[in-house]
Amino acid sequence: MLKYEIKKVFLKGRNKIALLLLAIVLLAVSVMTVNRVEYVDENGGHKTGIAAARNLREEKNKWAGYLTEDVLRDVYRENQAINSEYASGSMEDEDKIYQKRQGISSIIDLINNANSPWREYDYYAIDSITEDQAADVYEKRISGLEEWFASGKETFSREQQEFLLSQYKNLDTPFYYEYYDGWAALLQNISTFILLLALFIGFFVSGIFSDEFQTKADAVFFSTKLGRNKAVGSKLGAGFIIATAVYAAALIIYTAAVLLILGADGAGCPIQLEMWRDFYNATFLETYLLIVFGGYIGMLFAATAAMLVSALTRSTVTAIIAPFVVLCVFPFLSRIVTLPQVCSFFPDRLLDIYNGVRDFSLMQIGGKVIGIPAIIILVYTAVTLVLQPIVYRVYKKAEIK
Amino acid sequence: MELQLNDLTKKFGNFTAVDHVSLTMTNGVYGLLGVNGAGKTTLMRMLCTLIKPTSGNITYKGKNILELDGRYRQLLGYLPQEFGFYPEFTVQDYLLYIASIKGLRPAVAKRRTKELIQKVGLSKAAKKKMKTLSGGMKRRAGIAQAMLNDPRILILDEPTAGLDPNERIRFRNLISELSEERLVLLSTHIVSDIEYIANEIWLMKGGKIIRRGALDEIVGNMPETVWICRVEKQKVSFMINKYKVSNMKSEEDRAELRIVSADRPLPDAVQVKPTLEDAFLYYFGEKAGSEDVEI
Repeated sequence: MLKYEIKKVFLKGRNKIALLLLAIVLLAVSVMTVNRVEYVDENGGHKTGIAAARNLREEKNKWAGYLTEDVLRDVYRENQAINSEYASGSMEDEDKIYQKRQGISSIIDLINNANSPWREYDYYAIDSITEDQAADVYEKRISGLEEWFASGKETFSREQQEFLLSQYKNLDTPFYYEYYDGWAALLQNISTFILLLALFIGFFVSGIFSDEFQTKADAVFFSTKLGRNKAVGSKLGAGFIIATAVYAAALIIYTAAVLLILGADGAGCPIQLEMWRDFYNATFLETYLLIVFGGYIGMLFAATAAMLVSALTRSTVTAIIAPFVVLCVFPFLSRIVTLPQVCSFFPDRLLDIYNGVRDFSLMQIGGKVIGIPAIIILVYTAVTLVLQPIVYRVYKKAEIK
Repeated sequence: MELQLNDLTKKFGNFTAVDHVSLTMTNGVYGLLGVNGAGKTTLMRMLCTLIKPTSGNITYKGKNILELDGRYRQLLGYLPQEFGFYPEFTVQDYLLYIASIKGLRPAVAKRRTKELIQKVGLSKAAKKKMKTLSGGMKRRAGIAQAMLNDPRILILDEPTAGLDPNERIRFRNLISELSEERLVLLSTHIVSDIEYIANEIWLMKGGKIIRRGALDEIVGNMPETVWICRVEKQKVSFMINKYKVSNMKSEEDRAELRIVSADRPLPDAVQVKPTLEDAFLYYFGEKAGSEDVEI
């Protein structure tokens, strides 16, 4: 039964076309992601692709290891040396500086972040600080947060401030560093890809319930022994399997393609190398998994909404619109309506956990402080689960007039 | 086996589609005859648990079919008037899918599918997509799906609608063959569909069963008489307006008319044995005939 429900979906012409479009989108996003990693050769030429990633990895992995104070001092001195070697300020020298700095650029970013005003980034900060200041990045991360709290420019409660400080202090230092640009590039584009993926999946599942009515196969369906019980369950099951399989397959292909080309090194490095102020003490791999899981819940919610609308309205076209409303209209609303706290709970936030973990989006329940991404994952998991029996019941009770 | 309709009524807003119908059915073929809009499809849909009655109920062996739920539908085979299917499925896949939602075990489903594909003459089309089949082939696939679970109750709503005469005859014979040891309810507005195969005929009009009985009873109890007479062609319109004319055969300068009338329409009119067509004309009127009825 389940097999035929799945077959029904993928035999449809419109879904075959959508699957082809999804493959094109997957290819396009993969190419865009791969092109995020650039290597500048000795002639100043910008290169992308497998060879470029390999060259950059070689350069960066010369500095692989724990970023201790000594290593940070070495990077500081290396940067000074590069600056003094190409000090004319000409365009050629700028290119040379960029080319020479490639191996240490991520560590320079770290030092710049630590020595920039809060929520800002001073690209030249490393050039205006002392070696001791460059070596003191971990302490500066904590003191920067404390100073920001003391400035009164934020509105966090005492418990929230304590929570954030505790997260900052609990972060393992020194950071382990190696080339991580493949993961960084992957994470930067993944939210867009997950959003598109969720819309495609919503499209695939939107006809599971309504097409019985559209094709007038409903009368036979509901007059069968299992037509008002197990067969309805198999439709829900088919929706879940299709959503999960397409989501997993597309993300596995995307991730594999990007990491095979750009390299999978750096999975165990702390995400703070890329997102300096992130209060989730996690590695790139863990952050990736959180983003993928959040996206999965968001996608399942949108797919369930599509199936509910499909069962309620008996119209596939209306059902196709449901994921757009859930995932695209809500973020649009959040731009025109000033309800930041409410907007943080819109389902589209699940598809953008990447930005969710960058922000200090917190919620306090009683005395307990929790990050909003974790809360919305839990809330929408529960809502999605609750919607399943509702869809089942709506469809089971359908009358054919 | 006894299927009982107890004061069954279905209303859609102010419109009463089925109006206090009470009937009992056991094994045999029941022909439900009526013009479009008489309430046949609504009655059948209630029998298939597709819609709930506004009042009254249907019981199978004394139990409400809505409460029996899947246990009742397990006994049911249904071919709806508008037979929808999954256009991209092959005939075989379509039947296997329906077999699965009828709760047949996979091995039984495969065997039944193979048997029925042969029985309805679709062996060569088994691997063809449903959307590529002709109207007659689709109907045959429809009857095959209805028969998959070897139903005790077979409900066929306008099964020959849209079929050419050959297909209609073939289909009628197939239904006759399948009707042994089960209850078959066949609705139609085509008199010849049920004239020879129904054990009992129900005439339905305005949501009510206005007459019921065997063919001979329906025809024999008709209060008016059937006459055949020949008239000049220029008088045909006059006769059609004045009498219920169930048939007209043109000859050179005259026409032979078959008239249902209590009185002898012309002195030379000859009384003949009435048929179901004549009864249909009598009960449903000429207007209904001109709009909906194929005889």
